[in-house]
Amino acid sequence: MSLLRRWSPWALLLLALAGLLGPILLGEAEKTVAPPFSRPLWLDRTAPPTVHLHLSPEVREKTLDWIWEPPAGLALKGTYRLPPGTSGKIVWDGPSGPVPLASLTGAGSLSLDGRDIAFRLRLGLSPFQSPLETLFADRGSYRLAYEGPEPEALSVELHLSGGRWGLLGTDQRGRDVFRLFLAGISVSLLIGLAATLLATLVGTSAGLLSGYLGGPVDSLVMRLADLLLALPLLPLLMVLAGLWGRGLWQLVLILGLFSWMGTARTVRSLTLSLREAPFVENLRALGAPTWYILGRHLLPEALPVLLATVTLGVPGAILAEAGLAFLGLSDPRLLSWGRMLHEAHGFGAFTAGAWWILLPPGLGIVFVCLAFLDLGRFLEEKADPRLRETLP
Amino acid sequence: MTYWSRRLLGALAVLFAVLALNFALFRLMPGDPVTSLVDPRFSPEAKEALSRAYGLDRPLGEQFLLYLKQTVTFDFGLSFVSGRPVWQELRDRLPHTVALSGSALVLAGTMGTALGVAAARRRGGAVERVVLAAGALSFSFPSFFLQLLLLLAFAVLWPLFPLRGSVSVPAPQGAAFIADYLHHLALPVLSLALLGFGSWALYVRNLMVKILGSEPLFLARAKGLPEPVLLWRHAFRTALPPLLTLILLSLPGLLSGAVITETVFSLHGVGRFLLESIQGQDYPAAGGAFYLLALVTVTSNVLADLAYGLADPRIRVDRRKGQ
Repeated sequence: MSLLRRWSPWALLLLALAGLLGPILLGEAEKTVAPPFSRPLWLDRTAPPTVHLHLSPEVREKTLDWIWEPPAGLALKGTYRLPPGTSGKIVWDGPSGPVPLASLTGAGSLSLDGRDIAFRLRLGLSPFQSPLETLFADRGSYRLAYEGPEPEALSVELHLSGGRWGLLGTDQRGRDVFRLFLAGISVSLLIGLAATLLATLVGTSAGLLSGYLGGPVDSLVMRLADLLLALPLLPLLMVLAGLWGRGLWQLVLILGLFSWMGTARTVRSLTLSLREAPFVENLRALGAPTWYILGRHLLPEALPVLLATVTLGVPGAILAEAGLAFLGLSDPRLLSWGRMLHEAHGFGAFTAGAWWILLPPGLGIVFVCLAFLDLGRFLEEKADPRLRETLP
Repeated sequence: MTYWSRRLLGALAVLFAVLALNFALFRLMPGDPVTSLVDPRFSPEAKEALSRAYGLDRPLGEQFLLYLKQTVTFDFGLSFVSGRPVWQELRDRLPHTVALSGSALVLAGTMGTALGVAAARRRGGAVERVVLAAGALSFSFPSFFLQLLLLLAFAVLWPLFPLRGSVSVPAPQGAAFIADYLHHLALPVLSLALLGFGSWALYVRNLMVKILGSEPLFLARAKGLPEPVLLWRHAFRTALPPLLTLILLSLPGLLSGAVITETVFSLHGVGRFLLESIQGQDYPAAGGAFYLLALVTVTSNVLADLAYGLADPRIRVDRRKGQ
């Protein structure tokens, strides 16, 4: 199989897997995880990172090596339920000795912030002293621990907010860009494939019918195709998306219904050349109904070409979707690459110089398009070996 | 029917279809057409008066006729947002869009043609490789992504050009205004030219390769004509009619590109007006802007057909019969 030796099927497979597994393994992308516009972890290692330390009944102790300046903020949040009549505490232990952060009794929830005056007073500080300077006075190994009896339930998280987070930093709402990128894969692939399949379905039926039947049907279908080709596509898509809705399936419908013309023309010319072929004439003489000739004999002839058309059509649909989403004409809840670029453009990523929000979605679009183009060229050559000789 | 009358008739049919589509789009959508054409915040009396003025209380057929009359006279109604006639808003913005698309077209066309001819003259050279790569890239690179990168590079990291807007605020006066306007226009035009020249160059190269390999050129070379005369006076002249058509046919794409470009660079123009009207549910304005863009597209298609027919008499023979 020479298909397996191309890079594109493997790249697309890998990408699809990442898109499917990413959200499952890493958790949902919508969550705010760190301050807005945090840099990627691997960039500028002298700045403190954002760290989350989670305590549970199984893991009652977490250690952390802190070699940076004190973090910009601190928050302790969570819920707990201790056996009745007992009490425990959350302790922050470091080079300068243990500090109790909170004491727990019975059942309840915790919500402490480094900015709270009550919290500062409990640590023995004045209301104007930052607790971070005290808690992170020295660099070294720290420990967050729950001390007390066996808890019935415990879910407490300590957030230390710094300027760095994750593989690709965070966006303007503090969401993980890497997770958003992974979430965007499935949207792009889904819309691209579904819209192209719909367009191919419509285009093939229109092309087969108009090529085989000829006459008024042919004129009608081809004039309609000419008309749609003569319209400015992007403004039309914008108006439709604006008026009819911006959900995933509406976009698929809009993109599919306005990009079938090329396929219809290809299939029509193929059908025209086969209509008068002896085997079709024989079928007609044998009394085969039109749908049978079209479905069982002409359609299979067109299939290899169609496979290539579908593959080559996907980049167009992906680019159109990305364009609409970039213009803000997609569902805001739909985390697509175009949407990421829209938000990067509209919500200050530029003035923040946050290139890590800009590059991943854009390069993702380019990569997927190139992969589909490569795959499409390959399928096209398979369907029509004459192309191989004329290609530069 | 002759070639010309058939073409004109076809164009009229397309224009009529555009009108019908525009009519249907903004009336057959979910909801009450009155709310889509008349601002919902108006008082009931004002609403009634306006629906009467737009003929929204009359049967659909009559409405369509009224709509036809209004559209042909460029009376698109009042914008919900600004309260000014939509046509005035569009007329204010049209020159900016024309300046943007026009200069991009000239730049991309010149660059593309020069590179395409150079690539065709030296097959397999460095220029040809550049042309092929640029052509392939222009099909898979989202235009807004390249523009965002240019903006990040040359307006934020290395601030050579302004980040947004058509002019500075406050706008300077006199000659400084023109300089300021051009300064704001430079990066958008450059980005459009960068995106567009690849497909131009590829087209010109393919055309010139075919022509340079043809028999008349073989004869011209055999006569011992100097290379520049051969290239420009003979080969390039033969390539001119299709190039003329290409200019006209690339106008719709340029307008689509203008929508995105004006959004990325926050420029004043018809494209961004369309986007803002759609986002603000300013339906009369969106309808007017869409109609204007569609009108330009259809007109340039017709002009391309006519120009091609004028330049190349062979086209006037009915091709369909030969199929």
